[in-house]
Amino acid sequence: MYPFTYTKAADTREALNAGRGGGRYIAGGTTLVDLMRETVERPETLVDISALPLREITVTKSGGLRIGALVSMTEAAAHRGVRALYPVISEALELSASAQLRNMATIGGNIMQRTRCTYFRDVTADCNKREPGSGCAAQEGFNRSHAILGTSDSCVATHPSDLAVALAALEATVHLRGPDGERTLPFADFLLKPGSTPNREQAARPGELITAVEIPAHPRPLKSGYLKVRDRQSYEFALTSAAVALHVRGGVIREAQVAAGGVGTVPWKLPAVEEALVGERPSDRLWTEAAEHAADGARPLTHNRFKAELLKRTVERQLRTVGGSK
Amino acid sequence: MSQPQAAVGAAAPRVDARLRVTGKAKYAADNSPDGVVHAVLVESSVGRGRVTGIDARAAEAQTGVLKVISHLNAPELPPREGQFPPGEPLRPLQDDRIRFFGQPVAVVVATTLETAQHAASLVEVSYDAEPVSTDISAAEPADDPETYARGDADGALESAPVRLDLTYRMARNHHNPIEPAGTVARWDGDRLTVWEKTQYVQGTVFTLSAEFGIPPDSIRVISPFVGGAFGSAARTWVQSVIAALAAREVKRPVKLVLTRRQLYFGVGFRPAYEYELRLGGNRQGRLTASAHDIRTESSRYERHSEHVLEPGRMLYSTPNVRQAYRHVPLDVSTPWFMRGPGYASGAFPVETAMDELAHELGLDPIELRLRNEPADDESTNLPFSTRRLRDCYRAGAREFGWHRRNPKPRSTRDGDWLIGMGMAAGVYDTQRSEAQASVRLDADGIALVQSATSDMGPGTATSMTQVAADALGLTMRQVTFRLGDSLMPPAPVHAGSQTMASVGSAVQDGCDKLRKQAITLAVGDEDSPLYGADAADIVVRGGRLYVKNNPTRGETYQRLLARNNRSHLEAMGSYAGASEAEKFSFYAYAATFAEVAVDAHLGLVRVRRMVGVYDAARIINPRLADSQAIGAMTGGIGHALLEHTVTDHRDGRIVNANLADYLVPTHADMPEMKAIYIEGEDYEADPIGVKGLGEIVIVGVAPAIANAVFNATGRRVRELPIKPEALL
Repeated sequence: MYPFTYTKAADTREALNAGRGGGRYIAGGTTLVDLMRETVERPETLVDISALPLREITVTKSGGLRIGALVSMTEAAAHRGVRALYPVISEALELSASAQLRNMATIGGNIMQRTRCTYFRDVTADCNKREPGSGCAAQEGFNRSHAILGTSDSCVATHPSDLAVALAALEATVHLRGPDGERTLPFADFLLKPGSTPNREQAARPGELITAVEIPAHPRPLKSGYLKVRDRQSYEFALTSAAVALHVRGGVIREAQVAAGGVGTVPWKLPAVEEALVGERPSDRLWTEAAEHAADGARPLTHNRFKAELLKRTVERQLRTVGGSK
Repeated sequence: MSQPQAAVGAAAPRVDARLRVTGKAKYAADNSPDGVVHAVLVESSVGRGRVTGIDARAAEAQTGVLKVISHLNAPELPPREGQFPPGEPLRPLQDDRIRFFGQPVAVVVATTLETAQHAASLVEVSYDAEPVSTDISAAEPADDPETYARGDADGALESAPVRLDLTYRMARNHHNPIEPAGTVARWDGDRLTVWEKTQYVQGTVFTLSAEFGIPPDSIRVISPFVGGAFGSAARTWVQSVIAALAAREVKRPVKLVLTRRQLYFGVGFRPAYEYELRLGGNRQGRLTASAHDIRTESSRYERHSEHVLEPGRMLYSTPNVRQAYRHVPLDVSTPWFMRGPGYASGAFPVETAMDELAHELGLDPIELRLRNEPADDESTNLPFSTRRLRDCYRAGAREFGWHRRNPKPRSTRDGDWLIGMGMAAGVYDTQRSEAQASVRLDADGIALVQSATSDMGPGTATSMTQVAADALGLTMRQVTFRLGDSLMPPAPVHAGSQTMASVGSAVQDGCDKLRKQAITLAVGDEDSPLYGADAADIVVRGGRLYVKNNPTRGETYQRLLARNNRSHLEAMGSYAGASEAEKFSFYAYAATFAEVAVDAHLGLVRVRRMVGVYDAARIINPRLADSQAIGAMTGGIGHALLEHTVTDHRDGRIVNANLADYLVPTHADMPEMKAIYIEGEDYEADPIGVKGLGEIVIVGVAPAIANAVFNATGRRVRELPIKPEALL
């Protein structure tokens, strides 16, 4: 680990000042410290933001949900409002990491997570994300866990967060506060596809602080849920995953929100699947037909060819779980 | 007179349980002798080639760095012959050659661990890299296979009415114990003391003695606790030598602990293989022939062999057998024994093929195995000392509910899940080696028993205490057993399931001798109530010697010793080990039953329950035995479904060298598991009648699961681990 200085911000202003000076924000530290130990991350200054007043979960006036950036994964998953309004978020959180990590890790940190790509985490390997221009060892290397969607010649790393898949599905927004004031970004614009600059992962500007994520109100009733497919039962990143939210009224699907994880360089919203669902009556046949679109545009690599098929089946299964078998 | 058995057979809790769970057990890296400093390895980032330069200036400039040692400035070590495995052992920091990715190329010593870690990351090493060969499928084997033959296997296969021709593959596995390898080395003049994670304190002495060219009696190795090892600490690896070398260079005690990542390069692994198996038999299910061709990983500098072919040689009656074991020398570090070594690997092809044959013939898999039970060991022509495998099948089938299995694959469903049942046999040889144990009984009636063995998990201290307590006629609380110090009486490596048989027999021998001394003293002592009694009629219980048929006539050890002005009695117990020309074939046996659920669309496999039945002869402590069996069934789930060390064959890098990417079962993956032990002893094997348990319990678990997957899905996967993509 490279030496660093550590300061603890007493309030948001102090944090932003330190951030403006190049400090890296740290809360739970479950990703950052790990990567510092591997010398992948070498921040000179850490700004501990855990004392900031960003720990509230509130139901917004419109009936949405605002989750403070420092709410722990455990707290968010257990929150009554979250469980009642958006089970997909609770489920995504509870299927993440381990209980110990969920107690430490925060919602803001969760969406800032960096990839589990083994070559990114190994400083002796070529990685454009870690060291722009060095090449991508994963393209021709071992890439079973890598992305099939949103990839580029520069990078094929998956985004590891489960929560982010649920947030992408629900079209959440990210509240940021920076030296120039506050702004809000659609979740789809917050996480960046690698393109030719895989080292740029979020649209946050230097020194900007995530203050909250907000899930907009969705028409009720809304059924939602998250399915995570992985080799072992617990404590593993997704091979594939699906976040599904359906609003059915009068026997017809009026709104469908579907996103996939484990397959994209960012959480992968599936508009073609959504379009195939809206206006239709729930049925097993519909689930199968809609899920056929889940892997549209997939670019498989040597070891992850199975993911395209597995993704379709994952989405189909979760549509049936949320929408019912008919 | 034989002693009453009160402690042996009891489900006693571990004598060191409290120390372990309260963090008071001192593991190797917990030792910090005065003035200790920290060493961190720098490993090669190429898989083959030469080091062309080492720039340590940035590292050396760090405050607190004492020295950076590499082949450029390391002292030359005396020449050393390889003993085992055959070849040339890796010598630390002696030359510029890179033999495998992750090989230590330098060590940084600093006053704090953090400084040493950071400085190690600043050492710039340049290489002249060469192309690597790390893929057994793509590399040529050495041209001198180890072979075995009886009868005419190829001829018999040719004429067999039923023939299977199958290829099985197994991925490389790593041991992954929780405690990392660690060494603390201190020199006092020419004397070396080492606190080391090891399954073999005296083996570590031997290696360090050879490496430094110093007499063994100038070295002491201490290792009272081991936090799991699975075989990985049964060899003294190069980093232990580096710790001692660094300590001599900086003239301070040095602590060196491998990182989790370094454990994937530094302490061995279960080698990957490709195993071609041809089975021939008749329609009645009698095997007539089998041919076994295995290609398996080894390093280029040493040749590691395992007993992979043994199950296929002796488990079933087969008149014609041909086998060839081929090493594929690769640019990898040397493999090493991992739990159930050889046999667990070999059971997968053999036991899967038996399931395939049973399916082909429409026979129940147990019935097929019963039809091929041998009368004696056909590979040695020796009678079995004990072989209760039939009893294992019977007890397992009953407990598991085998009769409920539908033999037609893909016929049982539970919602989205396909349900299947499978079973497999297992075998592991009963190894025994020479061992000694000292016994001392003090005037206060408390006994101390010592042997230089180890406890990597089975509960050695507890089981030895039980054996000693019964032989001395004391309660377990009155006996202390100590292990893990090379100054203690010699014991073999704590591996191969031989510790109970070997050290246990030495302990019993020593305690018997001491008890008899006391009895002799009593019957010859005019002031003893036992004066004149026949020594053969005297037993000891609860520390009191008495006449078996007249319990009121007797006295305690304490009274006897006090009256005779003896501060203590002592004895040395010994056990000679297996005889050179064995009269019997000694093996432990197992039958493992597994029920799995396979998601019909997603390909996920989840084990729902398992039953393991073992013929390990006498069970010293059923609680410890359960801990072994359940741990091994869990390990078997990993072997079958999860564990897979992945090498990037472009440069020999292990890409999943961490516990997030190298998957082992979590608690959520552990189903209901039950272990059953077939009653009986094996006194031909050793004086305490045991056949060893720690290895046999994992042998057959993986094929039982694989066979259950076939029963569930109708898909036969001949490659471990079985991953979802194989079942989509």
